[in-house]
Amino acid sequence: MTEVYAVGVGMTRFGKYPDRDAFDLGAEASLAAIKDADIDPRMIDGAYFGHVYQGMNAGQRVTGNIGISGIPVTNVENVCSSGATAIREAALAIRAGEHDVVLAVGLEHLSSKFRGALAPEEGDVEGAVGLTMPGVYAMRARRYLADFGLTHAQLGMVAVKNKGNAAMNPFAQYQQLVTLEEVLASRPIAEPLNLMECSPVSDGAAAVILMSGKKARQLGMGRAVRLAASALRSGKVESEPASMTFEPLTRDTANAAYEVAGVGPNDVDFAEVHDCFSIAEALRVEGLGLFEQGTYLLAVGRGEAQISGRLPINPSGGLLGKGHPLGATGAAQVVEVVRQLRGEAGPRQIDSPSIGLAHCRGGKAAGVEGAACTVQILVR
Amino acid sequence: MTIASAQTTLAATPFVPGTLEVGADGKGYLVGGRCPGCGAHYFPARSVCSRCLCGDVQRVPLCSSGTLYTYTVVHQSLPQFETPYILGYVDLDDNVRVAGQLVDVHADELELGMRLSTQVEPRVSAEGEQVLWFRFRPAATASGQERS
Repeated sequence: MTEVYAVGVGMTRFGKYPDRDAFDLGAEASLAAIKDADIDPRMIDGAYFGHVYQGMNAGQRVTGNIGISGIPVTNVENVCSSGATAIREAALAIRAGEHDVVLAVGLEHLSSKFRGALAPEEGDVEGAVGLTMPGVYAMRARRYLADFGLTHAQLGMVAVKNKGNAAMNPFAQYQQLVTLEEVLASRPIAEPLNLMECSPVSDGAAAVILMSGKKARQLGMGRAVRLAASALRSGKVESEPASMTFEPLTRDTANAAYEVAGVGPNDVDFAEVHDCFSIAEALRVEGLGLFEQGTYLLAVGRGEAQISGRLPINPSGGLLGKGHPLGATGAAQVVEVVRQLRGEAGPRQIDSPSIGLAHCRGGKAAGVEGAACTVQILVR
Repeated sequence: MTIASAQTTLAATPFVPGTLEVGADGKGYLVGGRCPGCGAHYFPARSVCSRCLCGDVQRVPLCSSGTLYTYTVVHQSLPQFETPYILGYVDLDDNVRVAGQLVDVHADELELGMRLSTQVEPRVSAEGEQVLWFRFRPAATASGQERS
């Protein structure tokens, strides 16, 4: 099978940009990735753009602005996994032999669309009864804490950790340390989750240049990181009530990725996971098989998930610290994994990792665990 | 509201098409799907059963009682919802999970696994129209008693 390499990465700082739009942010991230790869942009023979709320032909609005119009451009929407799905589509196109050098971008300008809590799928009956995304995760948190005999303080430590990592990330929306007391004292959004346990409304973009193994060797791309697997699954419709404290969707997607990459959860050195809420991080890493079910918060308490720990989780600061511009998130996770594997993560650098995992998922509708989930495994 | 006014408005449009109906007795109930092949229930109804792929899923009234799987108190929501409110996932007795708001109960009194009943009632939608929707209330007080 054709090997696929990430040869250039770039992103905007995540945050609120009232004077810029998603396409401008997408251009900044794309140009940064092209510069990082140090390639002639005319070499790019295809582009994939992931976003949720940016309307028609968002990708063409970016490529047209940065001098690479005319190439095949594909726009993909897959809720919070949109950026990750763009990367997967780019990788598939390279594996199919259709392209050699592909630009994959995630972009979103959320602050111009929403102010607070996001609703699930439009028109869905759960949204119509008043279910919000924080509400879904708050309910999962309540059940998880009850089932495993854990406390809100133990859960809040996830936010303390991730915001601490973000304080070392110049691309993060929040770059300030917080204490557990501050997390627990922040205003309630959906009990038990407080403001500091919820990912913020963010704008931003992230981009990755992918290249076929043949082309990368030909050009001598020394900093290339291999994309060993890029798996995608959609949530199954439930034919009976299921546990909300475990994620079959995350497990199934991860197993597909592990199989393709020829690795298992014990081989993973660190992971960027979709911590849209504090509880989400526990659900993700346990679904991925990185920690036993019900044990993650205890591991966080022992420091195992810190950058210096046994298995660092969300060294970038995650969605809680770095921010969550929906479509950009999946691409930004890969940006972080590549930087970590190259040893270019500065003060938040993990000690010589060789295998990194990025997990992204999104969407919620009545009777379905989630809409889309991606797991990507990168190897140096 | 009075019982009389509630009854006159129970013929209103469901808040989401196809999710609620009013029976001949004037009482409203949730409508889901039931697979005649394997007995699985769905809310909302689906065209094909996900478990056995039977394509003949039938629209049926769902049980009006169930147990509370989990809940939250929502403090920040979309503009059409006045906060705070209690939201729960309720496992109805025909083995299907439904999300809904809880009424006539204080958050301090909630317990996982407690028994709840469905209450179909009128509501003014975000567009200012009278619609039919539902909430859950503790089973012990679900006898249709009047509340202010």
